[in-house]
Amino acid sequence: MAQCSNPLALIAEITHRCPLHCVYCSNPLELTSRQEELATGDWLRVFDEAAALGVLHLHLTGGEPLARPDLTELIEGARRARLYTNLITSGIGLSRERLTQLVGAGLDHIQLSFQDTSEGQANWIAGTRAHAHKVELAGWIREHRIAFTVNLVVHRQNIDHLDAMIRALEALRPDRMEIAHAQYYGWALQNRPALLPTRAQLDDAVAVVRAAEERLRGQVRIDMVVPDYHARYPKACMGGWGRQLLLIDPAGRALPCHAAGVIPGLRFDNVRERALGWIWQSSEAFQKFRGEEWMAEPCRSCDRRKEDFGGCRCQAFLLTGDARATDPVCELAPLHHLIEDAVRVDAVTGLAPAAREAPFHVLQENMAGFWSYRTDPK
Amino acid sequence: MAELTDASIPKFAPGCRWGGTTEAPVVLFPEGAIRVEGTGRIILELCDGHFSLAEIVQKLETQFILAPKGKIRADVLVFLEQLHAKRIVDY
Ligand code: SF4
Ligand code: SF4
Repeated sequence: MAQCSNPLALIAEITHRCPLHCVYCSNPLELTSRQEELATGDWLRVFDEAAALGVLHLHLTGGEPLARPDLTELIEGARRARLYTNLITSGIGLSRERLTQLVGAGLDHIQLSFQDTSEGQANWIAGTRAHAHKVELAGWIREHRIAFTVNLVVHRQNIDHLDAMIRALEALRPDRMEIAHAQYYGWALQNRPALLPTRAQLDDAVAVVRAAEERLRGQVRIDMVVPDYHARYPKACMGGWGRQLLLIDPAGRALPCHAAGVIPGLRFDNVRERALGWIWQSSEAFQKFRGEEWMAEPCRSCDRRKEDFGGCRCQAFLLTGDARATDPVCELAPLHHLIEDAVRVDAVTGLAPAAREAPFHVLQENMAGFWSYRTDPK
Repeated sequence: MAELTDASIPKFAPGCRWGGTTEAPVVLFPEGAIRVEGTGRIILELCDGHFSLAEIVQKLETQFILAPKGKIRADVLVFLEQLHAKRIVDY
């Protein structure tokens, strides 16, 4: 059995319900329905178990975590368990009063996601009207002493006005700005040709972010996640399989990563049936790609294997059909041409239609063939 | 970046706080946690919003009487400026 460290963070996908329909959503295509969701008591027990295992940070996410009416109770429970609690939200429907309740319950950090900073463009990406409210919400957040991060997902359709978006977001006075490129799982992989930026776009974006970092030093901390398709080596996905993080989906299944559900034949144990400690240490899914035993060449004899752990298992499976393969993002990977082809082909086919404002069902029809909006579970 | 002067009052930035146990305290912040020991811990414990930089330096000077003149202030400055750039400490 590969030896294991203790997990540092728990990602709790407390629901898959979400009022938005983002085209880059990394949720699985098969979403968990409301009836299958874990009850409040289950989550509270999981938080206690996580803290006992050594977890320090809890990330409440979804879907849209605000869709859970018991969110305040969950935050209180997390705080009682001494976890540092982060809420990742699109902010839709969050009133000033409810925000005050969440902060009162012990929330430490709120991460507010933006689709764009121009109303029409943002609504077009999210498939719903959402932007104006976020700006108002940002003001309310700053009335509390919690950490405030704005998160912006960038891709081919918005990357060219990144500078303007950063300037608009900085006016909201966040402590942190996360500029994350779409990651190609779930809905984003479906929509990749419309989302993957070209190399030239990416180089410009990197320069824009460097300049912003310089200008905002000591005021806003900027973190940028670049699309791995344009990198030479893969990312150390989740800090390595079963090494630092675990994710629990709305139905209670524990996964080593958001996308792990795509890997066929992996069995994910459920916190309804098993203790979290057992799942982390001994369950098949968490042990599967822990350590180095499973690695194939060239990873097995490569010096970088302790840094990137051979890349992302889910991406390896999604692109090569073999979860043990070297992540094709790596330029040493035997199947690296899959990435080169995607970059080349998407650069030609991914044209941007004009931004539109319309109800979701109209957008859905208009955009059919260009991209698919994320749907909502029952 | 804001300038750190003798009159500045350094304190944790919003959403940054102590965690862990009394024996092994950590500073928790959105991206992670850092274990602080020794002088770092003493400095951060003084960053509770009650003391100015000058007062913090003075307290440390009485505690570490053998340190060369000016050394403590310079070290505290570097330490706090680094944490400020990471958005962990404000002043
Ligand atoms: S649709 Fe958008 S807001 Fe909703 S979970 Fe997916 S990415 Fe997040
Ligand atoms: S060969 Fe494997 S270990 Fe080496 S850099 Fe590529 S993915 Fe990482």
